[in-house]
Amino acid sequence: MFHWLEKNPFLFAVGVFVVIAFAGLIEILPNFAEASRPVKGLKPYTVLELAGKEVYKKDNCIACHSQLIRPFKAETDRYGRYSLSGEYAYDRPFLWGSKRTGPDLHRVGNYRTPEWHANHMWDPKSVVPASIMPAYKHQFTNIADIATAYAEAVTVKKVFHTPYGDDIQPGKAAYEKYYKEKVLPEALKIAKAMKNKDVLDMVKQGKVPEIVALIAYLERLK
Amino acid sequence: MSSFVVKGLVLAGVLIVATLVVVKQMHIDLSDPVNMITFLGAIAIAVLSFGVAAKYMGQMKTDTATGELAEENWDGIGEYKNELPAGWAYSFLGTIIWAAWYWLAGYPLNAYSRIGEYNQEVKQYQQKFQEKWKNPSPETLKEMGESIFLVQCAPCHGETGDGLSGKAQDFTHRMSKEQVLAVLKGGQHQLKYPLGAMPPGLAQGKAAEEVAEYVANGLKGKAPAAWATCAGCHGQDGKGNGGSAPNLAEYDETLVQHVLKNGKTGIIGTMPSFVNRFTPVQEKALAAYLKTLKQ
Repeated sequence: MFHWLEKNPFLFAVGVFVVIAFAGLIEILPNFAEASRPVKGLKPYTVLELAGKEVYKKDNCIACHSQLIRPFKAETDRYGRYSLSGEYAYDRPFLWGSKRTGPDLHRVGNYRTPEWHANHMWDPKSVVPASIMPAYKHQFTNIADIATAYAEAVTVKKVFHTPYGDDIQPGKAAYEKYYKEKVLPEALKIAKAMKNKDVLDMVKQGKVPEIVALIAYLERLK
Repeated sequence: MSSFVVKGLVLAGVLIVATLVVVKQMHIDLSDPVNMITFLGAIAIAVLSFGVAAKYMGQMKTDTATGELAEENWDGIGEYKNELPAGWAYSFLGTIIWAAWYWLAGYPLNAYSRIGEYNQEVKQYQQKFQEKWKNPSPETLKEMGESIFLVQCAPCHGETGDGLSGKAQDFTHRMSKEQVLAVLKGGQHQLKYPLGAMPPGLAQGKAAEEVAEYVANGLKGKAPAAWATCAGCHGQDGKGNGGSAPNLAEYDETLVQHVLKNGKTGIIGTMPSFVNRFTPVQEKALAAYLKTLKQ
């Protein structure tokens, strides 16, 4: 029945190509759809939030916490709206995670406060008695790497056209200006809300501890 | 009987014995239907694999190829013009027809949607929930409230609702003296009650102290003179005039609803809004549970 096809290797190859190319298109095309673009109103991470994201990665929060709420009633009841792909548009890489030893964090900014995070990271059992999460006290003294986060913002602005403002520019002078005018006031706001005197003093001296950056990032997850 | 069949039977026998040994060693309870089915499945797999393998290996030894050769050959290797097995051919035809339907109608018109299923799931659940708890008993409300409280509220307010020594609102009391003084000083319009904003400075100095003391003590004893100003909106008993102003005596349903909806910033800190996170019955349940926390 198909001997005629087997006798024409070239035609057969074209046929194989068409079938595989079609399958490829089906996979690729939906990614250009509206639903896969950044959701409306999504802003890129501020430099402080990016530094917090680095702390999140460095201290391996992803090992126990996911950032992906699936469309199941049990999950949306506990964590809020299900996640949309467009919400991760500025995550490089996204931190979905695959293991929930602790709860999902994709909307944690909606229902926790900086003060709560500060208490919790210092001593998790003080707020959640049954918690098995370790304390992260070093975050209160370690200084966050804002310069690298700034470099990341400059890079993604240039390479991926992430919509940052004109204040994100290459060069040391631009960085120092940004640090003073944007990062420190944002950090001060978080530090005040944390109600931790040592942290507040550090920020007032112009240093940003990791915990402030991390909380800025967690508060951003909404 | 061919030697293959004999060897196959011996191997299958060995596997069955090994399975039995494992069952015995691990004390697996075969009266449990799931265990029994698994056990029978293991035996079936052993018998079938060796039986089928033995059959075809025997056949390979004796079978010879026959039939009409196709015209073309590849480097001297020919192909018989055998008919396709009927079952295989019809299934293949079936998949072609199915593919045509799926491309033209199935995928574009009836595509599966996870979000669609989610919406349906939520709708069905809500209907069932509302039907089941149309008139919940006070006991049910308390239990429901407790389970919601432990998941959603306890991380900040503590598992006993005591506010974790001042980190959040203490539900064993309505308001502390400091809280009342702060509201008297700064006014309040975060909860958006029908009676509107409470202006700052309604009572000052000693009068404010007296009122704060009175409210913090749970409105017991004789009301101070300045209470008359408060009673204008909050009611003589401080219970909020049937929901037109916040209840100062206890956590009631309206208060819980207003705080969950609007969130609240006070001298302790900020509570985020939990708008649309709970159904009306659940909010009622939370209020019922909070009342049980009272000292």
